Amino acid sequence: MSPLNTGGPVNGPPGGDGIRTGVFVCCCGGNISDIVDVEYVAREVGRRPGVACALVHTFICSDPGQALIEQKIAELKLNRVVLAACSPTLHQLTFRRAVSRAGLNPFLFEHVNVREQVSWVTEDLHGATQKATRLVAAAVARTRNLVPLEKRRIPIRPSALVIGGGVAGLVAARDLARRGTKVTLVESRPFLGGRMAQLHTLFPTGEEAREVLRRLMQAVVRDPLVTTFTNATILESRGVVGSFRTRIRIAPRGVNKQLNFAGSAIAACPEETVSEFDYGLGRRKAIYFAYPGCWPPMPAIDWNACTRCGRCVSAGGGKGIELDGKPYEIEVPSGVIVLATGFDPYEPLHGEYGYRIFPKVVTLQQLVRLLDPEGPTAGRLPGSGNGPLRVGFIHCVGARQWEGVHQQQADGKVNDYCARTCCTAALHAALRIRELYPDARIASFYQDIRTYGRGHEAYYERASEAGVLFIRYDAKKPPRVRLDPRGEAPLVVQAGDLLTGGRPLEVPCDLVVLATGVVPHNVSELVDMYRCAVGSDRFLLEVHPKLRPVELAVAGVFLAGTCQGPMNVTETAAAASAAASKAAAMITQGHVEMDPIIAKVDDDLCTGCRTCLAVCPYDAISRDPARKRTIVNEALCAGCGTCAAACPSDAIQQFGFTDAQVRSELAVLLEGAGAGAAVGSEAGNA
Amino acid sequence: MPEPKAEKIEPVAAGASLEKWEPRIIAFLCYWCSYAGADAAGTLRLKYPHNVLIVRVMCSGRVDPELISGAFAQGADGVLVCGCQIGCCHYISGNHKTMARMPLLGRLLVEMGLEPGRFRHEWVSASEGEKFARITNEITEEVRRLGPLNWPGRLHARGVGHGEDLEPWGTPQ
Amino acid sequence: MNAKLRVGVYWAAGCGGCDISLLEIGPRLLQLIEAADIHFWPLVADFKYRDVAGYPDEFFDLCFLNGAIRSSEQEEIARLLRKKSRTLIAYGACAAEGGIPALANLTTIEGIFAAAYHDSPSLDNPERLEPRPVTRSDLGELTLPRLYPQVLTLRDVVDVDYVLPGCPPQADRVWQAIESFVGGKLPARAEAVKLGCTDKAVCDECSLEKRLVKIDQFRRTHEALPEPGWCLLEQGFICMGPATRGGCGALCTKARLACRGCYGPSGQVTDQGMAMVGALGSLLAAETEERARELVDQIVDPVGTFYRFSLASSDLKGMR
Repeated sequence: MSPLNTGGPVNGPPGGDGIRTGVFVCCCGGNISDIVDVEYVAREVGRRPGVACALVHTFICSDPGQALIEQKIAELKLNRVVLAACSPTLHQLTFRRAVSRAGLNPFLFEHVNVREQVSWVTEDLHGATQKATRLVAAAVARTRNLVPLEKRRIPIRPSALVIGGGVAGLVAARDLARRGTKVTLVESRPFLGGRMAQLHTLFPTGEEAREVLRRLMQAVVRDPLVTTFTNATILESRGVVGSFRTRIRIAPRGVNKQLNFAGSAIAACPEETVSEFDYGLGRRKAIYFAYPGCWPPMPAIDWNACTRCGRCVSAGGGKGIELDGKPYEIEVPSGVIVLATGFDPYEPLHGEYGYRIFPKVVTLQQLVRLLDPEGPTAGRLPGSGNGPLRVGFIHCVGARQWEGVHQQQADGKVNDYCARTCCTAALHAALRIRELYPDARIASFYQDIRTYGRGHEAYYERASEAGVLFIRYDAKKPPRVRLDPRGEAPLVVQAGDLLTGGRPLEVPCDLVVLATGVVPHNVSELVDMYRCAVGSDRFLLEVHPKLRPVELAVAGVFLAGTCQGPMNVTETAAAASAAASKAAAMITQGHVEMDPIIAKVDDDLCTGCRTCLAVCPYDAISRDPARKRTIVNEALCAGCGTCAAACPSDAIQQFGFTDAQVRSELAVLLEGAGAGAAVGSEAGNA
Repeated sequence: MPEPKAEKIEPVAAGASLEKWEPRIIAFLCYWCSYAGADAAGTLRLKYPHNVLIVRVMCSGRVDPELISGAFAQGADGVLVCGCQIGCCHYISGNHKTMARMPLLGRLLVEMGLEPGRFRHEWVSASEGEKFARITNEITEEVRRLGPLNWPGRLHARGVGHGEDLEPWGTPQ
Repeated sequence: MNAKLRVGVYWAAGCGGCDISLLEIGPRLLQLIEAADIHFWPLVADFKYRDVAGYPDEFFDLCFLNGAIRSSEQEEIARLLRKKSRTLIAYGACAAEGGIPALANLTTIEGIFAAAYHDSPSLDNPERLEPRPVTRSDLGELTLPRLYPQVLTLRDVVDVDYVLPGCPPQADRVWQAIESFVGGKLPARAEAVKLGCTDKAVCDECSLEKRLVKIDQFRRTHEALPEPGWCLLEQGFICMGPATRGGCGALCTKARLACRGCYGPSGQVTDQGMAMVGALGSLLAAETEERARELVDQIVDPVGTFYRFSLASSDLKGMR
């Protein structure tokens, strides 16, 4: 038979074309046989062309059951096997292995579902038997058109590319290197550390974030198996699992290890710009360190701010600064890719709760910078010193939004998801304020308090005990921030107190803190390059949240951290470790096996209309105009069959689901269909 | 038990008794979502009519309109196509192609003489056992109400495949 | 083979274009006349049915039968010619796939009569006269052939040796087929082997360029002038090229007219319309089902567009 198997007899004389099918019907201990007359099914199907045996067994998935199949294959020289049992999602693999053990190609085996889809859902015993008989007979017809197939083996290169140098990327790189995998870690900014570096202390341990980060960064950059690039932008990533090739552009840093007097160089720089590290609250020079203890331990030059005046060069000792550096490109081959591209805090819209209109309205991230002793205000809050500090926290800003209540984001959607980390983070910050300003009056406007994590509830209790006022508001009637009409405070927060029936409250505040949600960092080019699935909340979507939580549908690409959804540092580290573990497992195995149910083009029929190119979700099809051939890339094809359906010449077939195979199944399912075709005219339960 | 394929399909006689007829409906289910959804209906022990016969494909995108017209032409009384929810296709966007094909296909079937209730497409996720049971109940009842389609029988009655078997002109009687 | 070939031509439910297309072979007609004698051709010569009935079986070496079968007369003569021909060729789209006459399957005989004899504004038929199968007159009983409720292809009523698709078949291809026949080089006679065409679709012969963009609006021929050099389907004109058998040289698309599908389905496809739906559905610029529906609603006559020539050979064939 041709590889495409577009032909093949459906109803030849019994055994006439050498097909010898074994049919096995499982009772499933009564689950099937209580409803379906399994003896009848076996008897009727046993009469179909090419069926060499049709047997009933109580539990075919048991060892004796599988042994029976293997024995019959040998004894009767079966070259096709049809099994009627539970759902293939449970045991198809088991039986494929059994069949392989007996020397038969596992893709000449068909598993028919007569339990979940027949005996468990049908009340009419007669109808159930009828249905089961039809399905099994159809499978017999289908298997006559099957051809042996071999799984594709794709070798995996023993190296990994980790995209993102925050805590997720660092943990993944560290874990991969510890397992002996060569890692290339790339970070788009000039410094590693990501958003964790912008924190002061971590909950629930109270450790200093940058100290933890420092230990992590040391472990990574000192490992000889890890190569790190900063100022890196992904230009293009091609290939498939096992053999990715990624082209990366490294922008010039402007500074190298030979710089002797970094501090003097920075002091001499006359240009200042807004500090993004401090969320716009502070300023920095055009040549700068992002934060104390950063890595690489040398400054970088912000070319948008630098005027190339050169004063840093001489102040810095005359060497180590290159103002005319050029970008260069590298190509990184890797077997696997880990995406650790992180998140951005939600930026409130102009005027949202008074943001950008009133200077005393800040985001929680900005508050954390203000409270940081190494931050732009050395840990002092503005507005303190004129009586007790009054702070109002508004929770769920940019999170848990409602259509029609909140303004839509740029893409027309609202952020309807909970951002998870902000409740604990807000209470953590509130307690810090109380620590610094013991007589501070703190109010928390919330929808729900979600201090869900281990050790987090304590923050809620301590905040309550510390006198933080909790005011619950209706999600559809968010609080409003206004100038205080009485002039006693800079601002007032007006809210309906839900727990007292919506009684209107007005709380004067020196500072209003918006506990903002998170959005994924914009990686639309990477999403296109890797064809990542994206959820409706814009975060990257895993294959299965429980069974395969760190894998993307694209084989060989793994998710680490907040690119996948809101999570705190603890959860991010766990997720990154999981991704590294999965990636390392793939590398250790050395190859990945993929099902052979892929598509193939028949050159004799292909016209070059290229409809198939337009429909493939994996860009697995290409056209060679010179040789007039359309080719399916066997490594990229995932086996959906969409191209086979789209082809107007029926020139593409999908192994295992060719038109001939499906049509032969339909022909038997529709035997006798039409008016007057009696239900089971001869059928009946014995 | 269905007889082996009849050599000649008997045309439907006018007023033939239909009391023994049962709808024969083919359902194309995608393995990752809707097939699993049908399994979920089974796990919940929900009940639906035995008239819906399931054909498994890997993705609803595989369901070629030619297979659907072929099914009706071979005697199906109804056809159901189920895929993953939009945005959740296991193969990223296979179900988008299905979604785009179905309106055109449906319109053609109606213009060729089929009642709209005989053809349906739905998005069923792996956890929607109840939805699957409800849909199969609905389509079976609708097709039952519409009666047998018997497309091949009716075409045969109108001469397709054999003409009216006239003797050639001038043949001696 | 006799010294001179015996050739027959008959038109069933057709327009006469296929008969004329045989003349399109031009000066080669003279070569044909040297090699062959016409023993039956209603358009051209005055042979009677009873003459044909009187011929021995397999009298014709080659018989071209064009037009679909939709009346008792057409079926009778088709069966007669089958008996009297060694080689019977279903000539043209109507005989092969049903052609445009097959679109009558979307209406009833009553509907046809109403349009032809009663409802058209240019008619003057106050007595509501209609053709009747039997009429008694002074000359005796006069009969008309019976109209069938369903338009059939030639293969529905007789075995066919070869098929020459096209509306009409393209002249050079017809000549190639005749030459092959004369030279004894026709492919082995299996069931209805297709001649004068390729196995691939029209796109294979078409030189318009694909830009791999999706269709965001459908347009009809009279609504816009196509941009030259660019695939017509991508421009929104429904070009049946991808689902249509080639061999015509893509004459229409060369003239910037969208292919209408007259050579029927390509390869081993049996349902040309459904093959096109599978492809077209995959090319719509539609992110939602509503948008897909909006686009599809722009198509004015789906059956007439996708099954213009092949309704009678499709899976469902249309039935009213």
